[in-house]
Amino acid sequence: MKRIMIDPSKCDGCKSCMLACMDSHRTDGKTGVETLDFKDPANESRNEIVNDGKGGYLPMFCRHCSSPKCMESCMSGALYRDRESGHVGYDEKRCGACFMCVMNCPYGIPKPDVTRTKIIKCDFCKDREEGPACVAACPKKAIYVEEV
Amino acid sequence: MGNPYVIIGTGAAGMAAAERLRLLKPDALIQMMSIDTDSHSRCMLHKFLGGERDVKGLFFMEEDFFAKKNIMWGRGQVAKGVDPAGKRVLMENGYQPYEKLLIATGSVYGIPPIPGFRTSVNVFGFRDLSDAQKMDAAIKELDAKHVFIVGSGLVGLDVAHALLERGVRVTIAEMATRVLPLQTDETSARAYQELFEKAGARFRLGIGASDSVVDENNRITAVRLSNGEEIPCDFVVCAAGVRPNLAFLEGSGLKTDRGIVVDEFMRTSDPDIYAAGDVTALSGIWPNAMDQGRIAAANMCGQQQKYTDTFCIKNTINFYGLTMLSVGEVEPKEEGSQVFTRECRNAYQKVIVRDGMVKGVQLQGDISHSGFWQYLIKNQVDISGKLAKKSVFDLGYGDFYGMDELGEYVYP
Repeated sequence: MKRIMIDPSKCDGCKSCMLACMDSHRTDGKTGVETLDFKDPANESRNEIVNDGKGGYLPMFCRHCSSPKCMESCMSGALYRDRESGHVGYDEKRCGACFMCVMNCPYGIPKPDVTRTKIIKCDFCKDREEGPACVAACPKKAIYVEEV
Repeated sequence: MGNPYVIIGTGAAGMAAAERLRLLKPDALIQMMSIDTDSHSRCMLHKFLGGERDVKGLFFMEEDFFAKKNIMWGRGQVAKGVDPAGKRVLMENGYQPYEKLLIATGSVYGIPPIPGFRTSVNVFGFRDLSDAQKMDAAIKELDAKHVFIVGSGLVGLDVAHALLERGVRVTIAEMATRVLPLQTDETSARAYQELFEKAGARFRLGIGASDSVVDENNRITAVRLSNGEEIPCDFVVCAAGVRPNLAFLEGSGLKTDRGIVVDEFMRTSDPDIYAAGDVTALSGIWPNAMDQGRIAAANMCGQQQKYTDTFCIKNTINFYGLTMLSVGEVEPKEEGSQVFTRECRNAYQKVIVRDGMVKGVQLQGDISHSGFWQYLIKNQVDISGKLAKKSVFDLGYGDFYGMDELGEYVYP
């Protein structure tokens, strides 16, 4: 399985990864962060950069865990292991919006969307041939893809 | 080929076990059986009752699960007993022998001993698809306008929400002085009460039903409350608790307490019989039932896996777009607790800390990134050092950040 590896020591908190994530998942058909509506909650980022309180930054990215607590707690079957990629997929049509996954991820990664009818979760940019947009956007190589 | 691995029950525990069994034993015979004719997620039953989903939409495993996994399924087959010495399950139409057996029969609802409740034809529970179907039929048949619900826990409010969606008015009696008493305090409960009242629900809190008015057709037409009030209704729903479904085990010799007694390997007093989910009286909540099922399955295949992640005082709630996370204590259980709260128009947060450890948390409103709270509470992580530097409400996984060599997050 491919995983977005993280080297927090290289992250300088520019949040290009967040913008790239928002741009990659927008539904208005446009591309390019300069045309992104930052006020629209539908454009939420699936990843986050957190200040570590010591001058550094902590990238928060779904790990697509080997034992995914989100998937293991899903009562609708919306979260599943994708056989081909090995990633934890999410089918929002099946989601019951119970948010057990939000409670059960020990790392606090998945979150309800603003309508409270589905979750916001990394899909590894599965429809993007070049791989995850966040990784491509990182100027410091603080995140990179590796086969694990 | 020998006898099959047999699983009774196609709920959370049974299905999780079946999936794991197939993974570990690609060629073994696996036979499941269930009272229900359709496997469904009980946590979504209210979506069926409310008309939001059909039966197919309640299935929670991958499509064509049974065919793809080559698992035999006796739909609508009732287990009548278990014969451990003969290694067979007594069915309505004969015996089903097993190599290993998993009992995942869940729980059954209780009807409180209120006069008329146990004998009338229009008193329903809400646990199986058949319950939801009966209620659906009753709404149509009686052209129901008003329903009386006993209990304002998650099941009671799920039913209330579904009925309100269909234009049926509800009155909910709750013995506690607030709604969702297991997950809320006064403040968080009030927010949900108001949302339900706005949608047309009436609550009678701190009050129980004490009697009923039954007509000549053996139907309850009104419920009398302990304060003398009479509430007319078209039917009654009991959502005041469940108990493990183990009556069929009588005479089997299997050790039972409140539920089937299992060891940490989910094994019953018989070495070839395992149990998982509500029937063990251990789980109480979906994720734990699935964990138990998976662990039982591994052990049925000769592994030695222990069920250790037993913490289950946790839930998430989502009504009318108001989400909530509730883990651990809702009010401090002991002296010397610090209680932190903060509140704004659309959010309420409360954290109970004692001896430097988080004992309970309620987040109402935004529950983003809140998964770490369960970890802190169930593992009793000492956060006193963190609290010296920042507000408890600013804690997050970042305060405990770490990674292993494969890039998976870990706690220090």
